[in-house]
Amino acid sequence: MTSIGTGYDLSNSVFSPDGRNFQVEYAVKAVENGGTAIGIRCKDGVVLALEKLVTSKLLKKDANKRIATVDRNTGVVHSGLLPDGRHFISRARDEASSWRSTYKAPIPGSSLANRMGAYVQAYTLYNSVRPFGITAIIGGYDAETELSVDGAVGNGPKVGAGGKTQWVKEGGPFLYMVEPSGLYWGYYGAATGKGRQAAKAELEKLKLDPTDGECISLEEGVKEAARIIYVAHEDSKDKEFELEMTWVSAVSGPTKGKHEEVPKALREEAERLAKKALEGEDEDEEEKMEE
Amino acid sequence: MFRNNYDNDSVTFSPQGRIFQVEYAQEAVKQGSVVVGIVSKTHAVLAALKRNAEELSSYQRKIIPIDTHYGIALAGLASDARVLSNFMKQQSLASRLTYGRPILLSDITSRIGDRAQTNTQHYGKRPYGVGLLIAGVDARGPHLFEFQPSGVTVECVAGGIGARSQMARTYLERNLDEFENCSREELIKHALRALKDSLSQDKELTVDNTSLGVGGMEENFKMYEGQDIAGWLETTFENKQEGGQAAEGSGEGMELDS
Amino acid sequence: MNHFPEAWGRPRDDIYGSYNASYLPQSRGGLQSHHQPTTHTQQPIVTGTSVLALKFSTGVVIAADNLASYGSLARFTDVHRLKPFNKRAVVGFGGDVSDMQYLDRLLNSLDVEENYTSPTGDAKSDDDRALVDAPLMSAKNLHTYLAKVMYKRRTDFNPLWNALLVCGLDEKDQPFLASADLLGTTFSAPSMATGFGAHLAQPLLRRVAPDEAATQELSKEKAVEAIKECMKVLFYRDARSMNEYSVAVIDQSGVELKEDEKLENQSWAFADRIKGYGTQTV
Repeated sequence: MTSIGTGYDLSNSVFSPDGRNFQVEYAVKAVENGGTAIGIRCKDGVVLALEKLVTSKLLKKDANKRIATVDRNTGVVHSGLLPDGRHFISRARDEASSWRSTYKAPIPGSSLANRMGAYVQAYTLYNSVRPFGITAIIGGYDAETELSVDGAVGNGPKVGAGGKTQWVKEGGPFLYMVEPSGLYWGYYGAATGKGRQAAKAELEKLKLDPTDGECISLEEGVKEAARIIYVAHEDSKDKEFELEMTWVSAVSGPTKGKHEEVPKALREEAERLAKKALEGEDEDEEEKMEE
Repeated sequence: MFRNNYDNDSVTFSPQGRIFQVEYAQEAVKQGSVVVGIVSKTHAVLAALKRNAEELSSYQRKIIPIDTHYGIALAGLASDARVLSNFMKQQSLASRLTYGRPILLSDITSRIGDRAQTNTQHYGKRPYGVGLLIAGVDARGPHLFEFQPSGVTVECVAGGIGARSQMARTYLERNLDEFENCSREELIKHALRALKDSLSQDKELTVDNTSLGVGGMEENFKMYEGQDIAGWLETTFENKQEGGQAAEGSGEGMELDS
Repeated sequence: MNHFPEAWGRPRDDIYGSYNASYLPQSRGGLQSHHQPTTHTQQPIVTGTSVLALKFSTGVVIAADNLASYGSLARFTDVHRLKPFNKRAVVGFGGDVSDMQYLDRLLNSLDVEENYTSPTGDAKSDDDRALVDAPLMSAKNLHTYLAKVMYKRRTDFNPLWNALLVCGLDEKDQPFLASADLLGTTFSAPSMATGFGAHLAQPLLRRVAPDEAATQELSKEKAVEAIKECMKVLFYRDARSMNEYSVAVIDQSGVELKEDEKLENQSWAFADRIKGYGTQTV
């Protein structure tokens, strides 16, 4: 950061001579200190997981949820400045709801990501605002079944105009990550926050390509997500944390098309396996040492 | 021409990704006198230390009942708290008018959180200079929330903000496991003891400088001041052995009427 | 003569002269004679007929037929006029069907908002979870809200042309039943009926449940039976009704909704001597 102190980094929307917007880069720094957040796009759904560092004993356990529902089928997890995250979520909810009132159908993931990307980008354009100090992961499931139009009367034709298109399947799981610059990509596995490097390394080992027959299932995804958060936490081992996880499947799947918290029993099982996997690694290392 | 610092406004990140104006606003909270809050399974309690400008002046208002089911305690700029509390009152009434139900504490807390966030992202605004404890009972039971100028809101079992509040939090952490099953009276005593731990050596809790707010499953949120709390002050600081920290203050207890 | 819709129900220009718009503000085309005052809905277009509901000891039963009429034409025969909101509230719609669709979308977005906050975090066990997961919006809250919406619209002189019955359980899980209509009027009783049902079915329902105390003694089966009997009477007498209907029972166990019921055991014996209608030849 050689340009610190030259003045080009004091105001948003100002380019430095070498074409950088420093305020956006500093916003990214705010994200890099936040708890690790990940998303995994599995064959039949999406998992969102978050490492929530416990900053005080006085906090109520298992309260203070941070993965938010934006529309029935869509969730958002973020890392960085918490209030900025709430701002992002409330905008995403407004987008989802206005889409519904215009099109009488839920907003597709790609459109939501696009609109949120545009919104976040707008906060890099003016010196009267600052960029968002968060990176947000948007995950959900666009219904494959043709949803009935909100408030539909009667059943209408089964196929053809006003009905469904036979054999054509749309929708499926989606996962996007929006950065402070407004940049967003679609992901198979996304990670942000303090432990993102370790998390990315783990995500890359997973089979997540849907065209590959071995693409992992949602339930496997839940277990992997828990394990990855535990792995990512290794660097700040001394600090306590809570694992928060949500998931969303197709209408035919375990969540019935809704974005909701992973049931307690499944989460605890995933955490147990995660701890075991970590211990296993330690033992391997110890064994090697002994040898 | 350019000033080499990042703390002039709340729309500038420092190279480390911090927003100094917001952090300074948090300091304003630490200037305010201490307030504490605790919840049990059945009750939520707020306790506050009031200051007076001079001997003959009145004491501050530290606890503000908002709706029949909850109230807030503030530390920091009282006028900012007034703006926020008016907003909370409006929102609470709107919930009762449109749905006929008391607003959820989580709901109202995130609404003021969102409002405060706006002040940290736009030029020409300043962050609120006040911290709040929001306590009461809603459809999901008793709750205590903490609000900070940054817009961060957290739900706690117990909490304390304001000058020297670290001492209160230490007391609360030490007795954390007891709170859940406390009776109304015990909870009030805990709150008073925590409050007292944050007092400087020469200070005492008196009927003049102490405020209490109590809400419960079966009772509306009510503020207690003056002679109404004399009984609690007396009983709380007589059995000093109960609280871990209470012994320390035993000498001061005698000077109550000075 | 002007047959365009804007002239419907208005005095004819050729007899009474053109409308005097001089009192209208400039922005509304004042002084320009072709302008008319702003109007909103004057009449419903496609309509549903009666909705019936009856409280019983532990819940409420509600029913409405599946017909949407266009005037006297039986236009749509598979229209579901009972909308479950959540596990403890159902709304029954009488009156304009497009306004019903508007309200349905409104309720849909309200439900999305209600579910933003996931309450499961407070749960200590799965048993506890059921309790904490109970929907926050009771039938009573929903009725308050809908009544406000109806009243606001009528105050804007732009009413939603419906008669609603909101039923289910209140905050204390007690049976709840109340109505709201296009005027914003609200009313509550042990049994309720909108439209023709108010004249034809209500007296019969009152025989079953004359007061609150009587509903405490009423079993679910008896209540459902009474409602079904009333649906039958309505089909006998109401020319805008049909024999396929929806019925929902709301109690502690949730909403049980059936949307393709058929009237059973009809007896047209009472109409034995009625002659001169339809294809009747004798």
